[in-house]
Amino acid sequence: MHEEALTPHGWALAIASVRRGLLSWNEETVDRLYSAPDGGNSRAHCVTNQPLPEAIAATRAEVAAQHLAPGAAYEVNNSLRKWGNPYQATPPAPANGQGEGPSSGKGPPTGEVALFVGDEAHYLEPESVQAALRLLRAVGIEPVLIGAGRNNGYIASSLGFPETARALAQATLDELAASNARQLLVLSPGDYFTFDQLYVERLDITWPREVALKELTTFLAEKLGEGAISFERAQFDRAYAYVDPTHAVRVQARHDAPRALASAVLSSTARELFWRRERSHPVGNTALQFTKPLIAARLTNARLQDARESGAELILTDDPGTLHHLKRHASGMDIQVQGLYELLADHAVPLIVVA
Amino acid sequence: MPPSYLDSHLQGIQPQMVRSELEDIVGADHISVKESDKLIYSTDWSWMPQMWLDRGQPLTTPDYIVHPGTAEEIAAVMEVANIYRIPVIPWGGGSGSQGGALPTFGGIIVDTKRLNKIIDIDERSLTVTAQAGIIGTQLEWALNDRGLTLPHYPASANCATLGGYLAPRGSGTISTKYGKAEDLMMSMQVVLPTGAIIRTPPVPNHASGPDYARLFLGSEGTFGIITEATMMIDYLPQVRLLRAVLFDDLSRAIEAGRRMMTRRLDPMVIRLYDPGSTASLVKQVLGYELEGAYMVIGFDGDADLAALQEEKAMAICEELGAQDLGREPGEKWWNHRYDFYYPPQTLMLPWMYGTVETVTTFDKLEQLYWAKKAAIEESYADWNIRYIGHFSHWFHWGASLYDRFIIEEPPQDPRGALSLHNRVWTTAVTTSVENGGMINEHHGVGLKLGRYMRLQYGPAWPLLKNIKEAIDPNGIMNPGKVGFGV
Repeated sequence: MHEEALTPHGWALAIASVRRGLLSWNEETVDRLYSAPDGGNSRAHCVTNQPLPEAIAATRAEVAAQHLAPGAAYEVNNSLRKWGNPYQATPPAPANGQGEGPSSGKGPPTGEVALFVGDEAHYLEPESVQAALRLLRAVGIEPVLIGAGRNNGYIASSLGFPETARALAQATLDELAASNARQLLVLSPGDYFTFDQLYVERLDITWPREVALKELTTFLAEKLGEGAISFERAQFDRAYAYVDPTHAVRVQARHDAPRALASAVLSSTARELFWRRERSHPVGNTALQFTKPLIAARLTNARLQDARESGAELILTDDPGTLHHLKRHASGMDIQVQGLYELLADHAVPLIVVA
Repeated sequence: MPPSYLDSHLQGIQPQMVRSELEDIVGADHISVKESDKLIYSTDWSWMPQMWLDRGQPLTTPDYIVHPGTAEEIAAVMEVANIYRIPVIPWGGGSGSQGGALPTFGGIIVDTKRLNKIIDIDERSLTVTAQAGIIGTQLEWALNDRGLTLPHYPASANCATLGGYLAPRGSGTISTKYGKAEDLMMSMQVVLPTGAIIRTPPVPNHASGPDYARLFLGSEGTFGIITEATMMIDYLPQVRLLRAVLFDDLSRAIEAGRRMMTRRLDPMVIRLYDPGSTASLVKQVLGYELEGAYMVIGFDGDADLAALQEEKAMAICEELGAQDLGREPGEKWWNHRYDFYYPPQTLMLPWMYGTVETVTTFDKLEQLYWAKKAAIEESYADWNIRYIGHFSHWFHWGASLYDRFIIEEPPQDPRGALSLHNRVWTTAVTTSVENGGMINEHHGVGLKLGRYMRLQYGPAWPLLKNIKEAIDPNGIMNPGKVGFGV
């Protein structure tokens, strides 16, 4: 951002200035406050004396409680409270032992490994979920699906509705507990960040110690390294690039796994975006998509432009939300967008179990 | 809000006229008169305005904030400012610590961050040409992608701009080998206060008359606005060898640094913490509980050369009785070198603090340190003042003393706090000058040190003032800074 008001310095100083009685929350200042993406790039600032994302979320909660937040924020909050997602869609009831998990008796499905689906994958990119299931089956795992159609709580937290976020978080934790899973796999760094950091830092909810949390890309890369899965080479000879998804900067040591997986399928030249790995920016699937759609679109277009400038003709990403936004904006940009899980699933060599 | 320049000088329709003319230049999307934006641009990162705001006191705000996209637009802004006699204040990343970017008299903030393009990377001559509003880290990443680096690594690189590197003559972590930002400058494009756009000579070393290019280095926006710069760059080094040693005696530690520099061992960094910093900052940030003077030494470049240089440096340290702490404490320092300047480790309000850093020659360096320590600690003992420092940015002839004072319980009244802050600074600065030091080494003069410029330059000061009047006849550029007054 070129404007100082839309930098960490600007957001922190605005928050501090209201606390000091030098500014007040009004249409102008609230607009600035809700222009922060909450994507993990603005981490700290001295003025707020706390990590900036948490300061912004806490301040938005104060603003929302005073009925000063943008109208769109309340609409999204109402949807999250009523449907558990911002799409005003009724999510499916948790499966009752009817084939959505490894157990087959009455009661909720149970199993050692669960996969969090969430709302973006369920409603916007269901093919990603199917691809993830095919990949897990290829390594002999039938996961319990949890959270299908339900937001993980990030959107509500980001918009300033912590109680809604807590309710969504509790629903996820209840479903996880009922699954008896000891490992939860997630499809995106956004889910990982939310469960691993946001719950405890913003919602004061502790993640169950007995459940290991892992991104599916990390899990699959480990399996690839162990020789437990392999991939056929794709017939594709043009340059490609992996786009680090929204919130990737918030999850350390996650950046090599998706690249290793992509290169196991694609033998053509791998390009890198300028804004990548620890410096990657979010695309439009933060709460900005609801409150500041123009900024959200600008962020997505910037990643697509970055990819084009890298020389890539195909871009891959794993997070279903990031994938959806990239696809939506890619038309007319002469660049192909594909889900990483779909690519991998299409080329996975099934596990051969010798009896 | 206190009255701004325009409130007291332009009445009626004129402020709207100015806004309309500025809109015509930069476009309506690139100008702001929003109250919240004005407040954001009312302070940089210096203690004074931050304290003022922290105590609920408003600062003077700018009247207009413009985001020009070209040097030509800045030139046109200058013309408007000259017609109406409105102050123009350049703004880069707002990370200055001396109040250099404060709109002390209101006026037009010219935020340069839209000027963020890399124009050319010359891999044969090893130069990069970029617009001045590019953020330092972004420029560095682009160079790193080609195996290159701009070897200016200030702690503020994540928000400071290229223009902000040059205007106050900044120093970075590895300046001991590569020089200050000013030493890396090849040439610049500058928009003068009159609106003329000039380009300094393409190379810095020549015999074609006086070197007027350097006038703009350290001018902090009082002589014009830097809009583009060509900088010397380097290859990323094959190795960076870091190591730490511990001296039980500060005097011998300084002597070790002096020998490394005068023998031209070419370290990229020598960071020597005094016993006070070793016991506090080094423990707090790096977790080492040590007594004495902690020194980090670093060499970079080709592996064999760097290893040989390090070997010779370690021999000097051994001769002077240092304890070799090994590589890990040096590497840990390198990996956490900016943590000292960011939350939660950095000095923060409500404490009072000031970095009263200076530079001098080796013959005066240690005496300067002890004189400042004594003057500050004795004069302000009632405030339980602490004085700590480290020696960094070493030269063939001397080194900078990066020293700080800290008062954990300053006066709550903002005027009382400001008055005490100024008194401590006066003690520090006058002691520096009396002991052969400069009033500043790399943070610049800004608003904070302007009043000491006459002390610093004596009979030469009118010469600088005359130059200012010749370059900026209407006095529109960043008034009140660098001691030039209004």
